[in-house]
Amino acid sequence: MTEEKKPEERKRRKTATEAASRVGPMVKAALAENLRAKEEGRPIAYSFIYSGYDEIIRAMDIVPAWTENYAGVCGVKRDAQRFLEKAESENFSRSLCTYALCGLGFDSWREETGEMPPNPPWGGQARPTVMLGSGQIICDPRYKWYQAAQHYMPDVPVYVAGLPYPPYEDDYDYRDVQGYYVKYIVEELRGLVAFLERHTNRKMDWDRLSEVIDISDRTWNMISEAYDLRKAVPCPMGTGDAMNTMVPMTFMMGTQEAYDFFKDLYDELQLKIANREGVIPDEKYRLLWGGGLPSWFALTDFNYFNSKGAVFPAEVTYRLVEPVYNLDLPRVSDPLEHLAWRWVKYWAYRHDKARKRPGSNPDVERLIEYIEDYKIDGVVMHEAFSCRSWHPGLIWQLNQLKRIYRDIPSLILESDIVDISSYNEADTRARIDAFIDTLEAVKSR
Amino acid sequence: MVYVAGIDIGSAFSKAVIMAENEIIAYEVMPSGGNYKLTAEQVIEEALTKAGLSLKDIAYTVATGYGAASASFSSETASDISCLARGVYYLFPAARTAIDIGGQFTRVLKLNNRGRATAFLLSEKCAAGSGRFLQVIARVLQIDLEDIGELSLKSKNRVSFNTGCAVFAESEAVSRIAEGAAKEDILAGLHRTLAAKIQTMVARLGIEPDCAVVGGGAKDIGLVKSIEEGLGCRLLLPEEPRIVAALGAALVAWEKVSKGG
Repeated sequence: MTEEKKPEERKRRKTATEAASRVGPMVKAALAENLRAKEEGRPIAYSFIYSGYDEIIRAMDIVPAWTENYAGVCGVKRDAQRFLEKAESENFSRSLCTYALCGLGFDSWREETGEMPPNPPWGGQARPTVMLGSGQIICDPRYKWYQAAQHYMPDVPVYVAGLPYPPYEDDYDYRDVQGYYVKYIVEELRGLVAFLERHTNRKMDWDRLSEVIDISDRTWNMISEAYDLRKAVPCPMGTGDAMNTMVPMTFMMGTQEAYDFFKDLYDELQLKIANREGVIPDEKYRLLWGGGLPSWFALTDFNYFNSKGAVFPAEVTYRLVEPVYNLDLPRVSDPLEHLAWRWVKYWAYRHDKARKRPGSNPDVERLIEYIEDYKIDGVVMHEAFSCRSWHPGLIWQLNQLKRIYRDIPSLILESDIVDISSYNEADTRARIDAFIDTLEAVKSR
Repeated sequence: MVYVAGIDIGSAFSKAVIMAENEIIAYEVMPSGGNYKLTAEQVIEEALTKAGLSLKDIAYTVATGYGAASASFSSETASDISCLARGVYYLFPAARTAIDIGGQFTRVLKLNNRGRATAFLLSEKCAAGSGRFLQVIARVLQIDLEDIGELSLKSKNRVSFNTGCAVFAESEAVSRIAEGAAKEDILAGLHRTLAAKIQTMVARLGIEPDCAVVGGGAKDIGLVKSIEEGLGCRLLLPEEPRIVAALGAALVAWEKVSKGG
């Protein structure tokens, strides 16, 4: 057994919004709810964020356990190393996704001893009833992580919902094929409902599902409208806070609580704008977090940027919604079909725009859109070494942006999402200092 | 006369430059060792002695580099990229690209016509693209670091290396020694490997002539030649490439003083 290590005590990060400061207790409460559900015998589903099935779980009163979130919590608490080391001792490579490694290390530890690892961050992660994978993009942990977890929990069934979406190519219209994708996704989601009914003793209430979807559609709109307010100068909320507010967006979708949270955020941002209250009093540089998951153990880097006069009015990371009224969704009576259409249309949202600009693609188009809408001076990205699905394309996006749009100052940070051994604060901050100097040089050109 | 100082506490070497207004009058370079604070005090002391001055004669001191915070006597710190840009521009006003091969990192930067960095890239955290790579290999081949360059130029049959990783290259070098490869051929092969890493960074940022090469790695003429060969252009090389960031720091200090800061 890996020896227990006491995590480093950390001061709480200062947030700009009151809403963001409420998120820590919300995560804590959600984890406590998992443990309570376990005690009460309610079904728990290991789940991945943004897998299109949030509303299904909610409608069936199954308690989601967001395993990526728990790995992130371990990262934030700087207490992931012992779980990473445990996974390594189980012969998992350190170069795998560190969310998955952390989760597998935690699960193997809990299953081996029959109890939570000692002093687990925020009470630990309860043993699931089912595990719900998600086949999409090229993120292999989304379908392999839970299969690997079955080594330790062979009695816990896994369902992998295939959720493809039309890939971008500039020489075809996704509308030519969207129907096939929708049909496929509906079948996958129908299979998921049947799987959950079989393994959790819960019956789907289809009217309830429609209600939950209505809440989540309204939440998508409310998030979009609240985040649009960040276009204001000075910017009332930065990416540091958005790494908190992603919690109700990704872990609570389909709940009234999530909707209310973003309505409160919207109201708070309106008030800040009216009072001309920005993240920092003297806003000099407006930056775009152009991609990459954050280093959860180093979110204070955002505060460091702030101390240098830089704010992040926008980010592509964890902005996983668009206004539903802009998605051109067909009216359908089957709630699963609505979910499928929303999924496909979300991913194809910028296809048309990208096809109009040679050399572009939807990701690059999104960068350009945010640079213009949020009056951006520079782009910051984070290459997390352990993520092989999303991060490898970032540099290409940056290069294309500069090639087809304009040469904009950029900074690429290098570290990881959970593995703190990849991080060097002094080096990171030296890079930030140098980047600020380049922003100044370009601005005064 | 107004005197200013720049100090660069790097991971391998520490450097200090003393300027009389904007003219270099003395400098010192010494290994950083394990105590940055002590080294900072020693390196500035040595440079001041050469200049015939003491710390109280210095109007402003700017520190940069890995251990900048350890130079407690400095007036302020500045980023190494900014200092490098100023230092390179001072020495080579036509330079628009600079490569700095340091002990810990290699940096590539673009400069504007006022000596300000407008873009930069740093090598990955591993030793593959840095001067550390050469230190590792010098130890394996049991030769002095400063002899590497000249020796490698004698190569007639450059060895190819399969890896750019310093750790794996070390074991690969051991294998080549066992196979009987000449030291100069091994060194030439390693220079090519390191140069290829650096060229990749330059390509990512986009080279704009003139291009200068600075930092401790630029003392290695074999490496410089290999980079020139890869990039297909001549590189501007200062007489003492290790002091450029410290020089830039001194220039920042002079800017402060001359602007009444």
